[in-house]
Amino acid sequence: MKNDMDTNAFGLGTLTHVMTTAGLRHRVIAQNIANVNTPHYKRLEVSFGAELTRALRSEGGSATPFPAPQVVEVPGPERVDGNTVDIDREMSEVTKNALLYQAAVQIMASRISTLRSAITGR
Amino acid sequence: MPFSNLFAASRISGSGMSAERLRMEVIANNIANANSTKSANGGPYRRQDVVFAEVLAEQAAGAKGGVQSLGGVKAVELVEDQSQLPRVFMPAHPDADAQGYVSMPNVHLPIEMVNLITATRAYEANLKAAQAFRQMNEQALTLLRG
Repeated sequence: MKNDMDTNAFGLGTLTHVMTTAGLRHRVIAQNIANVNTPHYKRLEVSFGAELTRALRSEGGSATPFPAPQVVEVPGPERVDGNTVDIDREMSEVTKNALLYQAAVQIMASRISTLRSAITGR
Repeated sequence: MPFSNLFAASRISGSGMSAERLRMEVIANNIANANSTKSANGGPYRRQDVVFAEVLAEQAAGAKGGVQSLGGVKAVELVEDQSQLPRVFMPAHPDADAQGYVSMPNVHLPIEMVNLITATRAYEANLKAAQAFRQMNEQALTLLRG
């Protein structure tokens, strides 16, 4: 790490970004679920994973600003009414996304507790 | 992050739940009126259907796909099913025509039941998403504990 106290100190910036994106993805999945019976609705998705991997692997790693996640319409098999939401898939996405969020929160909690013990010296 | 976005997920799931609830109410109304030969429009009752539309909240940029543009779902209109009404021979009925036939409502119980199951499952899915949102927020709040 080039400078320890940059915005991404102790990986907190990365974790915050993961949490923000998981929050956005939850909104998008909730929108898909709410519109499961709307004719001609096309399911939305957050494209983020690929961009984050690229940003983390690039030179400088944590110093690179994170790319903003994009909400995109994804093509897929349509039902008779033109809707492309697959409810089973959305339900598993909700669980997956909540677990990702939980993982980020727990890592962040442990980093913060490490920091706190370093500051207090106990 | 704009403050109004904080609870956007519960608003979206809530809109889904109220839309599905409305659909259940309409289905219940259809079943209740399965034998009503008089309606507000004169003729026999016609089964009703709810039409849903996606809601995209107002956005300054006006571009779709933005983060704030997700607003859930809403029921836009209630349409009457214009399919043919079954005719039943009941000469003693007060609504019988000259040949003794009565036009009955075009409500079919199997269709209503299938729609009711779909509405119930969709309601549960929205509820599950709302629960996941609550769980995520509770976890984030544990970060505040010392």
